[in-house]
Amino acid sequence: MVSPIRATRRHLLSCLAAIGLAAVLPAAAQAQVELKVGYMKHPIQDASLDMMEKWAKANNVKFTRVPMAYNVFQEKVTATLTTQGDQFDLIWHNDDWGQLWEKWLEPTDDVKGMENVDKWPLDAFWSAEKKMTVVPMVHTVGTFFYRSDLLKPNEVPKTWAELVTVSQKLQKDGKVKWGYVGGMSMNNTWFAQWWTMWTNNCDIFYPLLERNNAKLKAGGFKSALADPCHKEVIEFWWDALHKHKISPEAMTSYGRNEANAIFMAGDAAFTLVDSTHWGEFNDPARSKIVGKVGMAPFPMGPRAKAHTSWNEIWGWGIPKGSPAEKKKLTKQMLAAMLADEEGQITQWKKTGGPPPNVKVWDKIAAQDPVFKQLKHAVFDQKPITHSAYYFAQWPAVHKAYSDASVKALSGKREDIGKVLEEGAPLVTRAATN
Amino acid sequence: MTSLPQLGSSIDALQPPRKGFFAALAPGGGRILFALVVIGVAFLFAFPVLWVLLTSLRPASGVFYVHRGTEFTLHNFVEVLQQESVYNAFINSFAISTFATLLSLGVTVTSGYMLSRFRGPAPSVWFAIIYVLRCVPYISWVLPLFFVTRQLGIFDTYWGLLLPHVAVHVCFFSWIMKGFFDGIDPSMEYAALIDGCTRWGAFFRVAMPAAVPGLTALAILCWLYTWNEFLFALLLTSHKTPILTVVMAQFVHELGMEWHLMSATAILALIPALIVTIFGQKYVIRGLRV
Amino acid sequence: MTLSAIDLDHPPKRRLFGERQRFMLLLIAPAAAALAFFQILPIMTGANASFRDWSLHDPQMTWVGFKHYVYVLTDAGFVWTVMPNTIFFMVISVACSLVFGLALALLLNRNFPGRAVVQTILLLPLMVAPVVAAIMIRWMFNDQFGIVNVVLELVGLPGQPWLAQRWTAFSVILFADIWLWTPWFALLLLAGLQSLPREPFEAAAIDGASHWRVFRYLTVPMLRPVMVVCIVIRAIDAFRTFDIVWTISQGGPARSTELFSIYAYIEAFQAMNFARGSAAAMIGAAVIVVLAMIIFRVLNRWAEVSK
Repeated sequence: MVSPIRATRRHLLSCLAAIGLAAVLPAAAQAQVELKVGYMKHPIQDASLDMMEKWAKANNVKFTRVPMAYNVFQEKVTATLTTQGDQFDLIWHNDDWGQLWEKWLEPTDDVKGMENVDKWPLDAFWSAEKKMTVVPMVHTVGTFFYRSDLLKPNEVPKTWAELVTVSQKLQKDGKVKWGYVGGMSMNNTWFAQWWTMWTNNCDIFYPLLERNNAKLKAGGFKSALADPCHKEVIEFWWDALHKHKISPEAMTSYGRNEANAIFMAGDAAFTLVDSTHWGEFNDPARSKIVGKVGMAPFPMGPRAKAHTSWNEIWGWGIPKGSPAEKKKLTKQMLAAMLADEEGQITQWKKTGGPPPNVKVWDKIAAQDPVFKQLKHAVFDQKPITHSAYYFAQWPAVHKAYSDASVKALSGKREDIGKVLEEGAPLVTRAATN
Repeated sequence: MTSLPQLGSSIDALQPPRKGFFAALAPGGGRILFALVVIGVAFLFAFPVLWVLLTSLRPASGVFYVHRGTEFTLHNFVEVLQQESVYNAFINSFAISTFATLLSLGVTVTSGYMLSRFRGPAPSVWFAIIYVLRCVPYISWVLPLFFVTRQLGIFDTYWGLLLPHVAVHVCFFSWIMKGFFDGIDPSMEYAALIDGCTRWGAFFRVAMPAAVPGLTALAILCWLYTWNEFLFALLLTSHKTPILTVVMAQFVHELGMEWHLMSATAILALIPALIVTIFGQKYVIRGLRV
Repeated sequence: MTLSAIDLDHPPKRRLFGERQRFMLLLIAPAAAALAFFQILPIMTGANASFRDWSLHDPQMTWVGFKHYVYVLTDAGFVWTVMPNTIFFMVISVACSLVFGLALALLLNRNFPGRAVVQTILLLPLMVAPVVAAIMIRWMFNDQFGIVNVVLELVGLPGQPWLAQRWTAFSVILFADIWLWTPWFALLLLAGLQSLPREPFEAAAIDGASHWRVFRYLTVPMLRPVMVVCIVIRAIDAFRTFDIVWTISQGGPARSTELFSIYAYIEAFQAMNFARGSAAAMIGAAVIVVLAMIIFRVLNRWAEVSK
C-alpha cells in the first residue's frame, strides 16, 4: 500500500525530476522477507555483515544495511527500542551500553555457535533475567603498540619506570619527538589513565576490581579516586606530561584521532589503543610507520603482580520488537555468521578484527605471526577485571572520572591529592543518582 | 517603537567634509592600505576553508600534518564519488534545502509583515510565542521531535525533515522580516490602500518588492543553513533519505574518523553552496531597491 | 510614535474577526501550523519529561515534581561554572561578531573593484558545514600538527597547548564562533543597508558630512531595527551554542569551557537522564528569555538616546 506520505514524497521527487535532476526511488516493496540491520559504518562491521548477507542471499532473505552516524547511534537506537513501531531486526551492540538495552533485547542463548565464543567479555550483556543479549562480532582489546624499528622485543618497556627511561632515551637520541601518545579526554580515558590504573591493581570503586553490582551497591559505590594507588597513576601522568615530558602537554585534550595521527606520522614511540588499529598503522596510504609496529603486553605499575589486559567485544543484538518470524531468521543468520570460519578469517585479514569464534583463533595463529603476537600481547594475559562497569550509570561515572583526572593533570602537582579527594564524591554521586 | 528615525535633525547636525587621515599622509596610500586590509580580512575568513581544501587534496597519511610533505592527490574525491549514496544525498540535500527555503520564506514573510504593521494583542501574543520558542534549546526537544515524526509517519521522508526546518525558521525569519519591514516606510502601502488596493494587494505589490534584499539575504542564509545542518538530518532521516551531512557524519566512527574522506565530501558540498550564494547575493546588493 | 500603527492598523470598525483580524490570522496561519506540530508539541513533551523519571533507556515516566530542577539548581558546577561561562561566551561572541560584521557590511556597501569576489569569500564560513569547520579548527589548534603552532614557532613564538588550558581553549571556541557568525551579521546588516532609502545619504553627501558622522547619525539609527533584532536573536543562539563547542573542546579541559547546552546534553544523552537534561534546558530557556528581554530593552533605550 502506498501511504499518502510516500505519495507526497514521490510528488516532490517528480518535481525534482522536472527541474532536470534524476531521482532514484527506493525499490518497491517485495514479497521477500526483509531483515534490517542498524549499524555503524566501519570495515569490521561491514565484514561481519558480509557473512550474514552471504547467508541471506542463499536463503532468499532481503538484507538491508542501515548505516547510522556514531554521534547519534546510541541515542537513536535507544529511542527506537523504547518506543512502539518500526524496529530494526538486528542492531550493533557494544559493551559500553550493554546494560542500557538489556530490557529491550531478545535472549540469544539459543543461537547456535554461542558455545564457541569467549565467555569473559559477555559479562556486560546479561539481562536481569540472567539471559544473554548479544552475539559477538569482534573482540575489541586494548593493545600496547611500539615502534619495532627502534626497539627489539626484549627492549620494550615492561614497567612504567622503563616506559619513562626508554622514551627519554629515544627522545634524546633524536629517534622520536615523543615517547608515549594516547587519548586522555572523555571517552578516551582507557588509552592513558585507565590502562595505568588497572596495571597498578587499582580501580574506580571499592571493593577494587569488583564487578558484581550487588556488592558495589552494598559498598555505596564508594569511589577509590583518593586511594594512594590512584594518586600514583595521576602522578605518573603528571610527570609524563610536565616533568619527564615523554608525552605532549596538550595530551589531556587528545582523543584517539590526535594520538593516532602523531603515532602514524612517526613522531612517537609508543601508544595504547584498540588492536583493531593494527590495520590502519600498517596501511601505506594512511601511515608512515608501515611494518615498524610491534605489539606487547601493557607495562606494569609499581603495585602490579603480573601483566594484565582487557578483552571486550562488539556484538549484535536482536530487538524484542522485531516480529517473531523475523527473530527466528535473524538467529539463524547469526548462527551462520558464527559458523562461517572462512568469513571470520577474512574479517581478521581485511580488518585486524579478532573473530568471535575462539575455535578459529588457533587456526589463524598457526598461519599468521601477527595474530600470534596479538595473542601473546592480549589474549594470553589474564585480565584482572573488565575495562568498564556494567550498570546504567556507567557513562555518567566515566564523565565524572574524566573531569576529575583531567583537572588533576592540568593543575599543580602538589594539588593532585586534593583534586582527587574533591572528585571522589562526584564519581560516587554519578553512580548513585 | 517601530518608528522611522527622525532624519531631519541628524542631517542638520552634519558637518562639512574633512580629508581622510591616510589621504593626507600619503596620496594614494589610503587606497593601497584599504586593499591590503581587505585582502587580509578575506584571507582570514577563507583560511579554515582553504585548509579543508588543502586537507582534501592530501593522501590519507597527510591529512593531519597537512603542512608536512608535498604529496597531493585527487584520490579522496574519487573514493567519495564511488559511493552511490553520495549522489542520492546530493539530490536529497539540494531538494530539501531548496524546498525548505521556499516554504520558510513563504510562511514567514507574511508573519513578519504582520508583526511589523499591526499592533494590539494578536501581534503581541504571536511575538511572545515565537520569542519564547526561540529560546528553548534543541537538547530538550530534538528527541521528542524524532518521536513526533515517527508518530506522524513522516520519519525518513522529505516532509519529515522539511517541516521541522520550516518550524525552526519561523521564529528567526518572522522576526528578522519584521525588522526589514520596520525599515520600510509604510506610507506607500497606505497610499495603495486609499487607491483601492486590497490589503493583500498592498502587501504583495508594495511591501514585498521593497523587502527583496532582506528576503534574498534570508534565502541565502536559510539555504546554507539547511544544506549544512547536522542535528535534524542525523535524527530525522535514515537510509531511505540520505542527506549529505549525514553521509559526512558517517565518516566518524567509534575508532576515529576518515578525515580525508570527510574533508573531500565537505569540499564537494561547498560547490553547490558557492553557486547558490553567488547567484543569490546579486539580489542583496544595490540596484534592486525600490 | 508609529506611522505603521496609524496607517495600516487603523481599525475601521470594531468587530471580532473583522476583515483586519482575518487578514492578520491568515498572515500567520501557515507559520503557526508548522510551529504547533514541530516546535510546540516536541517542546511540551520535553517540558513534561523534565518533571518525570524519564531516563532514555528505561522511561518510567512517573511524576517526580521539581526534583530535577532542584538537582540542577543546587549543582555548584551548573551555577558557578556553566552559567557564567555561557554568559561570558554569549557577550564576547555577540559583541565581536557584531562589530566585525557591521564593519564588513559597511565595507561591502561601498563600491570597489573585486567587491563581489570579496563578498563571496567573506561568506565562506557560512557555506561549509559547521561541524566540519569545527573539526578543522580543532586540528588547526592542535599543539603537534596544528598549523597555528607551526606558524607561531616559525616566527619564534612558543606554541601553546591550546585545548588543554582553560583560557586558550576558551579563545579557540570564541574564535570559531566569531569566525562563523561574523558573516551572518555582515550579510543581514548589508541587506539592511541596501534596503535603506537613498535620499538622506545623498543629502548628507551634498552637505559634505564626514564618514563618521554619516555612520553615527544616519546609518546606525536607520539600521537600528535590523541591528537590534540581529543582536537579540544572535544572543539567544549564542546562549544555546552547542555543536561547535562540543566538537572543539567538549566543554573541557575538565568542564572549564562547559556551556549550558553542553551541560544539558551531557545529562540527557551521555548520562542518559533525559529528564534532568530537559530540566537544565528549561532553566536555561528561562534565563535567556529574561536576559534577551533585558538586552532588547537596553538596546532600544540606547538607540532612543543616541538619536
